[in-house]
Amino acid sequence: MAALKPFAMPKWGIEMTEGTVAGWQVEEGKPFAKGDVIVLIETDKITNEVEADADGCLVRLLVGAQETKPVGALLAVMGPPDASAAEIDAFVAAYRPAGSSAAANMEEAPASPPEPAPAPPPSAPPSKIADSIAISPAARRAAEAAGLSVADIAPSGRNGRITRQDVDKAMAGSRMPVLRGPIAVSGQEEAYASPLARRIAAQNGVDLAQLTGTGPRGRICKADVLAVANIPAPSAPLPVSSPPGDDVTVEPMSAMRKTIARRLTEAKQAIPHIYLRRRVRADALIALRARDGKIGTINDYLIRAAALALREVPSCNVQVHEGAIHRFAHADIAMAVATDRGLITPIITRADEHSIADIAKESARLAQRARAGKLRPEEFQGGSFSISNLGSFGVESFDAVINPPQGAILAVGAARQEPVDDNGAIRIVPVLHLSLSCDHRAIDGVDGARFLAAIAELIENPERL
Amino acid sequence: MQYSKDGLLRAYRRMATIRQFEERLHEEIAKGEIPGFTHLYAGQEAAAVGVCEHLDSDDMIVSTHRGHGHCIAKGCDVDGMMKEIYGSREGLCKGRGGSMHIADTSIGMLGANGIVGAGAPQAVGAAIAAKAAGKGKVAIAFSGDGACNQGTTFEAMNMAAVIKVPAIFVFENNHYSEHTGDAYAVGTALDIASRAEAFGMRAWRANGCDFYSTFEAMAELLDYVRSTNLPAAIELDTERFYGHFEGDPQRYRAKGEVARLREERDALKSFRASAVTKTYLSTDELDALDAAVGEEIDRAVEAARKAERPDPSHVLEDVYASY
Amino acid sequence: MSVMNIREAINQTLHDAMERDPSVILLGEDVAGGAGTAGGQEAIGGIWGTSTGLIGKFGPDRVIDTPISESAIVGAAAGAALAGMRPVAELMFADFIGVCGDQLINQIAKFRYMFGGKARCPVVVRLIYGAGMNSAAQHSQAFYNLLTAIPGLKVAMPSTPADAKGLLNEALHGDDPVMFFEHKALYGKKGEVPEGDYRVPFGHVRMAREGGDVTIVAFGRMVSFAEKAADKLAEDGIGCDIIDPRTTSPLDEEAILDSVEQTGRLVVVDECPPRCGLAADVTALVAQKAFTSLDAPPECVTAPHTPVPFSPELERAYVPGPPAIEAAVRRTLDWG
Repeated sequence: MAALKPFAMPKWGIEMTEGTVAGWQVEEGKPFAKGDVIVLIETDKITNEVEADADGCLVRLLVGAQETKPVGALLAVMGPPDASAAEIDAFVAAYRPAGSSAAANMEEAPASPPEPAPAPPPSAPPSKIADSIAISPAARRAAEAAGLSVADIAPSGRNGRITRQDVDKAMAGSRMPVLRGPIAVSGQEEAYASPLARRIAAQNGVDLAQLTGTGPRGRICKADVLAVANIPAPSAPLPVSSPPGDDVTVEPMSAMRKTIARRLTEAKQAIPHIYLRRRVRADALIALRARDGKIGTINDYLIRAAALALREVPSCNVQVHEGAIHRFAHADIAMAVATDRGLITPIITRADEHSIADIAKESARLAQRARAGKLRPEEFQGGSFSISNLGSFGVESFDAVINPPQGAILAVGAARQEPVDDNGAIRIVPVLHLSLSCDHRAIDGVDGARFLAAIAELIENPERL
Repeated sequence: MQYSKDGLLRAYRRMATIRQFEERLHEEIAKGEIPGFTHLYAGQEAAAVGVCEHLDSDDMIVSTHRGHGHCIAKGCDVDGMMKEIYGSREGLCKGRGGSMHIADTSIGMLGANGIVGAGAPQAVGAAIAAKAAGKGKVAIAFSGDGACNQGTTFEAMNMAAVIKVPAIFVFENNHYSEHTGDAYAVGTALDIASRAEAFGMRAWRANGCDFYSTFEAMAELLDYVRSTNLPAAIELDTERFYGHFEGDPQRYRAKGEVARLREERDALKSFRASAVTKTYLSTDELDALDAAVGEEIDRAVEAARKAERPDPSHVLEDVYASY
Repeated sequence: MSVMNIREAINQTLHDAMERDPSVILLGEDVAGGAGTAGGQEAIGGIWGTSTGLIGKFGPDRVIDTPISESAIVGAAAGAALAGMRPVAELMFADFIGVCGDQLINQIAKFRYMFGGKARCPVVVRLIYGAGMNSAAQHSQAFYNLLTAIPGLKVAMPSTPADAKGLLNEALHGDDPVMFFEHKALYGKKGEVPEGDYRVPFGHVRMAREGGDVTIVAFGRMVSFAEKAADKLAEDGIGCDIIDPRTTSPLDEEAILDSVEQTGRLVVVDECPPRCGLAADVTALVAQKAFTSLDAPPECVTAPHTPVPFSPELERAYVPGPPAIEAAVRRTLDWG
């Protein structure tokens, strides 16, 4: 039995789904040598030569010039020139493309319907859905882009057509939500109140008879009950928990607190944080600061160090926006300041161009204005990088939440006496614990690592500051 | 029949008011002052007034799309009507009905109606109320030779006969249902009254271009209805001096037809002739009434032009009593 | 409280209203029945039994047995209302709005508005509606959606005896025209009915069930089907808010939106075919006003876009039932 091998449509890159035979460069039955060009294949991007990776012979060409075939489709059969026609026929009939998509299967073997493919993982290559499938244009695009097999989708469109919603649902998969179940509260039926108003009243012990309705036709509405119950309007399902007891003071969030809450929630939910941690010897920095006459706080030195490190590692000196990365020529560094109204982060602009003394003056001024609530928007908006230092509160180390659209934040702990390896000797010196949070959408781990290396170098050799 | 001088002067004034109201509208519509479309009643004055002069405000009428004459004859405020037709907030219906939907239920005018034939069943309902009130009051449906072909009118006549209520079907045959002649469209051409008779009620026939003819026939009819609480009908042969609507080129009319009708079938002319021969009234008295009506219409138009326009927010009013 | 069925509740309410208010009259085909026959008046008592005993008590001037003339029935009701009465007109089948459409939609719906608020037209039109009795395409339709679309009309459809009394009584106290839809398959449904002058305000839903997971809005006969589905779903711990709007004009939008804000899921059950029906209407309302509350696409459980078929097998397939409602609820939960 002759050793026959398939010569199939190659796949170049994940987006290639099909190719067109632009022209055979060898003849059927004529041997070729390794390195000869066998065929020219055209995709929607390029025309490429397919070279022979060994000596051989195409014993049968199955596809003519200008014919388009899906990836994996059999284009020709390779084998010894003496292979019999019957052997070749049998080989062709038995051929199944390896890892073929459903669409390719259907083109090659229309007689036997393909096994319904399980929904491929999201990274699967796009597959072409046959024109014969009843599916709306938007659904087709969505399914093809996701590489989703539509064979298993139950169509809900007119005349059995698959809709975009069907595709969305198939991709979302089947997930039962957390059930809340039947509710047995519905007291005070006789009151003229909306059902939700009744429900809230029952849950909060509000007597509807005491209320005047402000809803349509004088009906008691949700807001009327909430006003009396002194609880904020529920935007989501009502809390199942009981209302706070007497020893709990309920205090509505201030506008600033709400902004902080919203922004940090968004940041934590939307930004893929990576955390890089490093210990840094601080003995040299502390000594330098003493020599300088303490012109600035440790934090001022760290701001200066971060600014210079950002200049060295510009890939960390970025803001991350929807679909774009903004790169900065200078280091505008935000410093976290705690005030009695909440956290605010005024910015030391161009910290890389200023001396420690200047930075110290500016940071003191900004902190004072922040605590007085007098910061102007331009004093706390923008920046590409933040430093949050809880060392003065004795915190050893922590991870900070990125302040969007900034690309990274450095969390600094207290300088603690810790043993370090000093050229083979163990020495106890002050050590800072740094934790860098990077927005992984724009900053890779290696960028962050370079930054940490740079700032560590500056802190341990502070003369350069 | 005996007529009082006051009664005749009042009837003439009503007819003259209708005539001048409609002729003035004809002018103002041509100037583009009035929105929408308007159906003028001029030519049929004797019918509306000959019927309504017998009624008081407890008697009820239901009118048609050509309803200005019925409104004036039933006693609607002429200023309020003019303002309504101009679409003013101060109109009888706050500018929400317009020419085709003038109503004043407080004086028994239950509404002009844009749907041909819709009024007849409503008059039957009003007659149920009239009978229930037990004061010998009646309800009248004005219909034309168009509405006499509507199934609603047949249903209403049959029901009135079956349930025995004092509903009166007044058929004003002006010989045109819109732009089609009664000789074509009415199967019993020139005889609508016999249809009512076929439903089992008494019917009268009169000249709807002659006040006395209409008034006297209605006197008999109303005596009968008020005393029996049974329905009745009357067919009034009358004429329309203008088109179906204002702007209708009236190509269906014979040459010189309108001029001839105005010469031979003008209710005001015939009223004057008879009034003077019967010596109750002098030409001078009637001329003075014409002049007074003219001033009234002038004032109404002036007032309508100056009247308050509706505010866009008014569009939401009065859909429901409560919602 | 006494227990009675919807037929009895309506009959009792009509008795009470005619006793209380001499301006209340009843017009319709066979509302007395038997007039002009050997059997005589009251041989029938109304083919639905809702006007039983009325003519004997109030006489033929107030219980007006009409010829088969729907336009004249509704038109006469309109005229009587303009003249100060409170007529109740019965359309033996709601399908007959096709016969008297003008009087409903061009006349009584518009008098108040066209006449500048000066006319009063408190007509109650009782329309007997709905599939389920093998009455075929011209005697089975649920046309409340058509009349809900007409400004000037109010539309009510009780699903319990208490609501039948409360809503009809409210209609008989108001000054607006009310289209009162009675489902022929619900007449025998029993329940407790409050005594006395019991009234249910329009535009105020009844919560047939409460639960935190899915909002079901169901109209008329569909309410009890939704309850059956909800009982089944409760076995799996799925809790349904079942909202019976009771009136579709006015519609208690607030209660529907409040509920969807809690559950994030909506199933609307309507006996009308899908196009331009109440299911589409409520779905649009929620999409417009509670879009961000939705966790799953709303589901509409309706009759198909066909006339009502005659054969029992076909009619069962036509009318939305508890299994379809249950499946729709589960589909909304499938969205996770």
